[in-house]
Amino acid sequence: MVYYLTTLLVYGGVDAVACLGLSQQFGYAGVTNFGYIIFQSVGAYVAAVLSLPPESANGGFQIYVGGLHLPWPLPWIGAAAAGALVAVPFTFILGKRLRGDFAAVGLLVTALMCNLLVTNFRPLFNGAAGLSLVPQPFSGEATPQGAAYAWAYSAGAVVLAAAVYFFLRRVVRSPYGRTLRAMRDNDAVADSLGANLRQLRTAQLVLGGAVAGLSGGVLVGFITLWDPQAWGYAETIVLFAAVIIGGVGNHKGAVLGAILVPLGFEEATRYIPAVGPPGFIPALQWVAIGLLIVLFLWWRPQGILPERRILLSRAARAGRAVRTADDRREPAPSAMAAGAEMPARSAPAGIAAWRRPGTAEAARRAPGPVLEAVELTRHFEGVHAVDGVSIAFPAGKLSGLIGPNGAGKSTLLAMLAGTLAPTSGIVRYLGEDVTAVPAYRRARMGLVRTFQLASEYKRLTVVENLLSAVPEQRGNSFRGALAGPRYWREQEEAHIARAEALIDQFGLSKLADAYGGELSGGQRRLVEIMRALMAEPTVLLLDEPMAGVHPHLAREIGSQLLGLLGQGLSIVMVEHELAIMDEFADPIFVMADGRLLAEGTMSQLRQRSEVVEAYLVG
Amino acid sequence: MSVLVASLAFGVISASVLAIASIGFTLQFAVTNVLNLAYAAVMTASAYVAYEVNQAGVVVWVSALVGAAVGATMSYLLNRVVYTPFQRRKASPITLVIVSLGMTLIIEFGTQAFVGGTNVSYTMANGPTLGVGSFVFTGAELGIVAVAVATMIAVHVLIRYTRLGKAMRAAAANRDLARVCGIRTARVVTVTWILSGAVCGLAGVVFGMNAGSFGATSTDIFVVLILAAVFLGGPGEPYGAMVGALVIGLGTEVSAAFIQPDYKDVIAFVILLVMLVARPTGLLGART
Repeated sequence: MVYYLTTLLVYGGVDAVACLGLSQQFGYAGVTNFGYIIFQSVGAYVAAVLSLPPESANGGFQIYVGGLHLPWPLPWIGAAAAGALVAVPFTFILGKRLRGDFAAVGLLVTALMCNLLVTNFRPLFNGAAGLSLVPQPFSGEATPQGAAYAWAYSAGAVVLAAAVYFFLRRVVRSPYGRTLRAMRDNDAVADSLGANLRQLRTAQLVLGGAVAGLSGGVLVGFITLWDPQAWGYAETIVLFAAVIIGGVGNHKGAVLGAILVPLGFEEATRYIPAVGPPGFIPALQWVAIGLLIVLFLWWRPQGILPERRILLSRAARAGRAVRTADDRREPAPSAMAAGAEMPARSAPAGIAAWRRPGTAEAARRAPGPVLEAVELTRHFEGVHAVDGVSIAFPAGKLSGLIGPNGAGKSTLLAMLAGTLAPTSGIVRYLGEDVTAVPAYRRARMGLVRTFQLASEYKRLTVVENLLSAVPEQRGNSFRGALAGPRYWREQEEAHIARAEALIDQFGLSKLADAYGGELSGGQRRLVEIMRALMAEPTVLLLDEPMAGVHPHLAREIGSQLLGLLGQGLSIVMVEHELAIMDEFADPIFVMADGRLLAEGTMSQLRQRSEVVEAYLVG
Repeated sequence: MSVLVASLAFGVISASVLAIASIGFTLQFAVTNVLNLAYAAVMTASAYVAYEVNQAGVVVWVSALVGAAVGATMSYLLNRVVYTPFQRRKASPITLVIVSLGMTLIIEFGTQAFVGGTNVSYTMANGPTLGVGSFVFTGAELGIVAVAVATMIAVHVLIRYTRLGKAMRAAAANRDLARVCGIRTARVVTVTWILSGAVCGLAGVVFGMNAGSFGATSTDIFVVLILAAVFLGGPGEPYGAMVGALVIGLGTEVSAAFIQPDYKDVIAFVILLVMLVARPTGLLGART
């Protein structure tokens, strides 16, 4: 009985640790690591060979590398380190801009291949037979067969699981954790707003790898054996099932899932009478796990414990008017109503929350264009989307970019922002060649874009959406997150105040704590513009920002943006609504068929027959 | 020399099995954009039903037709009951992959629950044989190659010369556009799943014949070979899958003659990973 209970506790602790690592990667960072089991396995193997004596010492019935016979806790530390190290090559698969399902398949296949290699290559970890007789921690000093030892070990496993939980909670409840969730919800947008995706994913793979490795080390120290059958591809699916069922984006859910799925299933089948042929019940067990995954993804994709909404608005934090999602939906002010709430005249200072003292000053002082395309070209499979366009956008102006559908406006914008690599040509920003600078770094330099399609982070609140774009946050690094709230709280409060001021100005105060995914189309556009402003741009590239926004409000935003021009902001705007362009944009550039057709003010352009023709024909 | 001839001959047989399987997989992906990882599980389940029929005294090639029917039915249901509802909800591709893994567990271990953990073999008559150099093809092996060639020709005729094939290509290229052009895309998708499911079931039987004996979990590694062939040629490209199957089939068997046979599948793994990282659209696929 003691043995049974303690075994249960150790397995529970180990499964919880493993699920927490996966929850960190999959639930928070959106890294779908189907090769996750490899990391646990590497941890187990490394801990085993670090604990085992040299292979000659046990009569040579098993062969392996290492055999260092190290005392505890070195095998466990080695297990975590090995898990972290093995994660590094994986970043080559996940670092690429690869369809999510392709990358996932790549990782699944890697896991299968590693298993195949370890099974067939005996010198490494004794091949198919696996390692056994692994010495348990303190086996010299204590008696591992005794009840006291078993209790101590299970206590250790549980304490470790708790420690990992609190460690990871500290990471995710920080500005860094917010960036991870932003990346999960929409990585291209996070990239365009200054998130270094490769670095973030690498960090999460390594962190999760270390956690998984540790779980393997703890497990092998208890069961004393490890072989390739213990980590088939199906074991990874079990861990995914645990995280999905427990709750995606919630570490508590991961722990619950660990208790319900890997642990619960093992135990439940113990009490089912053995019916059918041998192997019948274990097979059904797998069927049940498969069913659970599919049914949960259908009926409750958020899991038993859903992700918690992080309420940051004044109202919510003051404890008043904490609305449920239901009554938020009813009086949700449409963009039109929101427009009515806006101040009739924009304050002379324009949008208060925008600031970019350094580069904006430089931009104002520097002569010449703030942003320049030189012979910029992009081909898609023979289609010349943009064909040798040279444009110089002046500083301190709202430049308009118009043209019929398919003219190449969005492609040009994407190349200017760095989201798309040009086939040829040069992009100059503040006089500097930035053609080879990645999008996230251009954003940090103050060159910020918005997207034509709504690109809000669906599972971040409006306030969080805005905060995610703020540059140079103290807590927006792994180290900053570990330093804890005391390190970043004060700055965060200032950012929240700025975000709320902006939200008030755009008339979305009531929706400050709504999820991005709960907003209407027009509201999403507003969030996007606000978010771009929070990124403290020097040059703002807006791709049809007014689409779906009520004309009244669009006008209001337009005049607000004009107010910012005097402070050193420059704007490039793609827009189909010519009335808006007429009112706010000067100069205006006309594109058609991937080429620059004309430039001038709207009234000048109306005189030009080729422009009118392009519109009529296109 | 005779080793090389033998490995080439085995390569042709492996490539034939793989080609049948890969064509079905890639057709599913082309038209529905689902990486159906449960494909191999459906193969095995179909192979088992065919085995039962075969044990009842039916010739193996007739049993194969039954297997194809089972594969078609299962694939139809899989799409109708599982994938289409998820796609209607705009589930992300990654969610669909997870769902397909869940379905893999359900079908694979569901099969195992019924048939148990032991391997089974078809009863096959010794048909005519054909000697090529020092290698002798058995009747079954000749049959497998013939079925593969027939499948490839059938798919070629289907997608090049029939209205349905044209509609399939249109739906694969742009489903919404195909729909507004008057193509009943839902029906095209359904028919694609039935046809590719039949190919899948056939592939399962052929796989079982070639493997000698098979169990519920025998296709765990084979699915990687399918993926490697499909990605080598470009996912969604039927001709690419044919070429990919030939390269992977020959590559694994020929390499097995020179390295340890235990590692022969590693070639396929490496090819798949290289393709995924370097050129996920495949050798014949569109350049991005």
